[in-house]
Amino acid sequence: MKKLLLASAVAAACGTNAASADIRINGFANLTAGFTTSENVDAAGNTTDLFGYDDNVDFSNGSLFAIQVSGDVNENVTATAQLLARGENDYEADFEWAYLTYSVNDNLAVNAGRLRLPLFRYSASSDVGYSYHWAQTPFSVYDVPFTNLDGVRIDYSNNIGDWDYSLQFGAGTYESEIGDGVINGENVLLVTAEATYESFKARLVYGQSDSTFAEATTDAAFAQLAQISPGLANKVALRDDRGTFKGVGLEYDNFEWFISGEFTEVSTEDSFAADDVAYFVTAGTRLGKFTPSLTYEARDGEGDVKFLEDIAALPAQFQPAAAAVVVGFQNFFFEDYSLTTLGLRYDVDSQVALKFDVSSYENKIQDELDATLVRVAVNYVF
Amino acid sequence: MIKLVRTGALLLGLLSTTAMADVVVVVNKANSSALDQKTVQRIFLGKDKKFPDGSPLTAINQSAESPTRASFDERVLGRNSSQVSAYWSKLVFTGKGVPPMELPNDQAVIEKVASTPDAIGYVDSTSVTDSVTVININ
Repeated sequence: MKKLLLASAVAAACGTNAASADIRINGFANLTAGFTTSENVDAAGNTTDLFGYDDNVDFSNGSLFAIQVSGDVNENVTATAQLLARGENDYEADFEWAYLTYSVNDNLAVNAGRLRLPLFRYSASSDVGYSYHWAQTPFSVYDVPFTNLDGVRIDYSNNIGDWDYSLQFGAGTYESEIGDGVINGENVLLVTAEATYESFKARLVYGQSDSTFAEATTDAAFAQLAQISPGLANKVALRDDRGTFKGVGLEYDNFEWFISGEFTEVSTEDSFAADDVAYFVTAGTRLGKFTPSLTYEARDGEGDVKFLEDIAALPAQFQPAAAAVVVGFQNFFFEDYSLTTLGLRYDVDSQVALKFDVSSYENKIQDELDATLVRVAVNYVF
Repeated sequence: MIKLVRTGALLLGLLSTTAMADVVVVVNKANSSALDQKTVQRIFLGKDKKFPDGSPLTAINQSAESPTRASFDERVLGRNSSQVSAYWSKLVFTGKGVPPMELPNDQAVIEKVASTPDAIGYVDSTSVTDSVTVININ
């Protein structure tokens, strides 16, 4: 319902101006084919996938089509809506973004609606394959369940001599699906600072939210645990728990070659979720239409099992059942892996690029899951 | 025969590269701004939305098919047209910027600049007429 309202507001805003020539239509598409060179079977003998890919060629995971329409409502207000259809959702089109921008002046803009959270260097354009050199942005860092914000974002940009800088401040809520569950965040606050000097760029980001994860199996398990100890169940479950996001990004790009990296840390107090530390470093060179690159990325979301003292404090007969839930959940969500990617981008023209990436995946918890991932992509913008 | 045609095409390509080498920035006759290369870069990358004296500006780009565009991107912006287009796609899909309007060729740019007081464009030096002012950015 909310979505529909938002969409019609944007449509109405654009509509009033339909007679003028100020409606801009842009779009982009990624067609990505990917597969792993062998079957992914874990230690328990279960066949699994690697970021949605397995040993059969998949065309939908990294593929999407999008149309963005923006129009000037008046001299200061612009309405923007982005309709995006992802292959992984059967190309069901959804309003990824729909927001109004009020430009206070050339430096300051206030955006309200559904917009992208500026968490990463490529957050805003992570769906626009043409804007970067990889087939897809590094999973370790970019694969987080909170990407969009329903709320307000203030963008400020200016320069001091040759230094360009920008500040972004966001506030609102987010909601996204993980498997069959839903994670949502209330009281989201995010601050981003970015500075550019000639070929150098640096960015810092801090965010926080009160997060809740709801999913049938998970909820049932915690309900059982609550019968043993309501206090412990509440501690372990992710319910209205403060999560924080910290990130640093550095980049040097002189257009002949580049090196850049991002480092992020996601932590959630009082829940089964382990703290995640993720980073990537990438370097490449531009040789005419070709951009070969090398990327190393890793995520470490494995830590000490928490709440053991709480379990030990329970009556002995309840300990095994409580431990099964508490320890089981933590183990299930532990992650520790790295990927090394050799990539090649080829610019067909100023609207089309081809990518060929080969990645070696190393799972540091289960060696059995080590794999090689091959991706070929066509990116288009208009 | 095919080889000959190919060589011919190649030579033509080379010739046109040399011929388009001189790109000049042009503004309306009424505009007396002095601009350096860095400012022109900022204007065409959407970083500066006004002339240094604070007056408004309308940047006029050339479409991707125009040889002058390729030369301008390489020489003035310091990157190839694909990189410029990747740069803009980042801004467009964040709602942070609207790329300059594009015209198909030098002649169209000259006409537009001559008739628009706040316009700034670029053309091959051989296309310049006295209806516009050339800005020396070096």
